[in-house]
Amino acid sequence: MPGRLVRWLSAAEPDWDAVYADQLPRVYNFFRYRFGVTADAEDLTARTFEKAWRARHRYRRDVAAFSTWLLSIARNVATDHVRARRPLVALEEAATMAATGTPEDDAVRHSNGERLAVLLQSLPERERELLAMKYGAGMTNRAIATATGLTESNVGTIVHRAVGTLRERW
Amino acid sequence: MDDTQLNSLRREPSPAFAARLQASLRQHDVAPSKVEWFRLRSVAAPALIVVAIVGLLSVPAVRASAQSFLALFRVVNFVAVPVDENRLARLAAENLDPPHLIGEQLQVLEDAGPPTSVASPEQAGAAAGFAVRTPAYMPTAVYPSGIEVKGQQHIQVTPNTERLRQVMDTLSINDLEIPQGLDGGIVDVRVPPVVMMRYDRGGALAAQLLQAKSPAVSLPNGLDLRALGEIGLRVLGLPPIEAREFAAAIDWQTTMIVPLPANASSFKQVNINGHPGVSIERSSRAPNGSSRFSTVLLWSADGMVFGLEGPGLSSADALRMAESLK
Repeated sequence: MPGRLVRWLSAAEPDWDAVYADQLPRVYNFFRYRFGVTADAEDLTARTFEKAWRARHRYRRDVAAFSTWLLSIARNVATDHVRARRPLVALEEAATMAATGTPEDDAVRHSNGERLAVLLQSLPERERELLAMKYGAGMTNRAIATATGLTESNVGTIVHRAVGTLRERW
Repeated sequence: MDDTQLNSLRREPSPAFAARLQASLRQHDVAPSKVEWFRLRSVAAPALIVVAIVGLLSVPAVRASAQSFLALFRVVNFVAVPVDENRLARLAAENLDPPHLIGEQLQVLEDAGPPTSVASPEQAGAAAGFAVRTPAYMPTAVYPSGIEVKGQQHIQVTPNTERLRQVMDTLSINDLEIPQGLDGGIVDVRVPPVVMMRYDRGGALAAQLLQAKSPAVSLPNGLDLRALGEIGLRVLGLPPIEAREFAAAIDWQTTMIVPLPANASSFKQVNINGHPGVSIERSSRAPNGSSRFSTVLLWSADGMVFGLEGPGLSSADALRMAESLK
């Protein structure tokens, strides 16, 4: 009989507390980048984790796979949110934000984060989503490519273009 | 615009929110909705194994029937447990072996009947209620030779605490308590139709592929699955400490216990296109003295359970066939 007595053929149950602590900021920031500070990132994050928790028996039990799987749920939640909501920030407002006052004034009126959030809303959906995955969820281009079905070079191109647009409007 | 600015939108979730959400998730665990609770219970197939005194697992495992695996379990993960056949023999001598015990408590509400031959995977899919997958890869000289569909089966098992205690006494398991809530409850098992595809080589069976939606198993509410699991592992022959540790670590709602056949020569965890599975190779001695081997491959994917087995089917070929399913 192989083995001593018992061998695992599957990964053990993850440490859910550790997984939660590790993944919560990634999902939360994904939504902040995706929808800006005006969106209810907490609500969307909670929805994501509740869906994931209910369906946790379906994912492969290793943490790396879990992060990808969790982000796929977050993306679905984001899609549902997009369908349900009205645009949060008009493009004209974003343009106005980008052009207002001196840097000092801007610093007073808006933090960099708030300003970035508004500018992100002026980007096309696809670019915004990829930036949310990269800077919000902290994913690599390769991981984003795997999650979206794009090629890694395509991801890099889109992200580069989107950052260029933000830089111009900053 | 630099990375600092690009990262300027990042914030740590507030501790209050993190704590609130975590508490909410835990509450889901403690008091899920009725539907969710049923669903969680529905995937508790391994606990059924325990209720059934692990026999429905061990017997088909020892006899190497992948079909029996399919007919019993909803699988997400796999854990391999060698079976102490001497213990099962002791139970059989007392008429406490699983077939006896389960036969006493079994009620068939819907009989699957004999398998029905169909002409194509499409017909099989229509009969079974799901899109049947077929392998794009087949080993050299292997060809499809038939498809059968086994109908749905619905059975109920009434656990009997007294008989379980007899099993434990026979095996001198006297340090564990049978958890409350078992006696008088009903284990309800609905086994969806199973599609069985046969592949031959030179007119003889080369491989058999089985696929089915995961069975739905409901258990009496309030059962301590971990405690039942520990009893089941001890019945299988695990030492007390290991049984306790494994019972605590296993997710009994989603993990399939795979008892290793006595003639298993090797087994390993496999990954079928991102889905977990287990591959067991068995060897036996042919009448002419030569060694024969066969492979049993079990995996789950997308709510479906698959089994692939065949005499002379190598582990590598089984894996390639499994990965090529379309």
